[in-house]
Amino acid sequence: MQEIPVIDLVRPMPGFDGDQRFALVRLDDDGTLCELRSLDHEDLRFLVITPGQFFDDYEPVLGDEDVNLLGLTSAEEALVLLVLKPGESLASTTANLVAPIVVNTTNRRAAQVILDDSRHALAAPLVV
Amino acid sequence: MLVLSRKAGESVLVGDDVVITILEVRGDVVRVGIDAPRSVAVQRAELIAQLESSNREAASPSEAAVASLAKALRTSR
Repeated sequence: MQEIPVIDLVRPMPGFDGDQRFALVRLDDDGTLCELRSLDHEDLRFLVITPGQFFDDYEPVLGDEDVNLLGLTSAEEALVLLVLKPGESLASTTANLVAPIVVNTTNRRAAQVILDDSRHALAAPLVV
Repeated sequence: MLVLSRKAGESVLVGDDVVITILEVRGDVVRVGIDAPRSVAVQRAELIAQLESSNREAASPSEAAVASLAKALRTSR
């Protein structure tokens, strides 16, 4: 995935009200593992991946409120990021499918959207 | 906090366009219908609490955990 120097989190992540500016930074050569690094608190970061190679059939549907908040005009400009909780091993590493971070790559506005859908888990084991 | 007593079938109006209706009361479960414009987000409070706790657990993993995950992902492909 592409790096983005400044992302404006227009609605803070629950638990992190004070952090609204993040950078998306690659942690490996092919851009599979990335981090969202807070520009407001230098020790805060979240590991993220795109769902693609891990959760094939994951297709989050955003509500009107979130589409308007992010100013999205097409699905193509939305970058979906899943927040990871790294475990002791790959097998115990989980991704949050309930609340992906959606970035509008055109205007760099982002939000952690909540999909209240019982098919999604807050801690889904990574499928590799 | 405003506290109201309502019976099944009765409603409360919040603002101009949000209607909360008590649909059914059975034992300790109350079914509530919420009629709101699509622009108003309606979330279960416990889901926000669960998300907050999940975010806190995910925040700022150690360098060792990041390195180990990066390596595991690399070798899994």
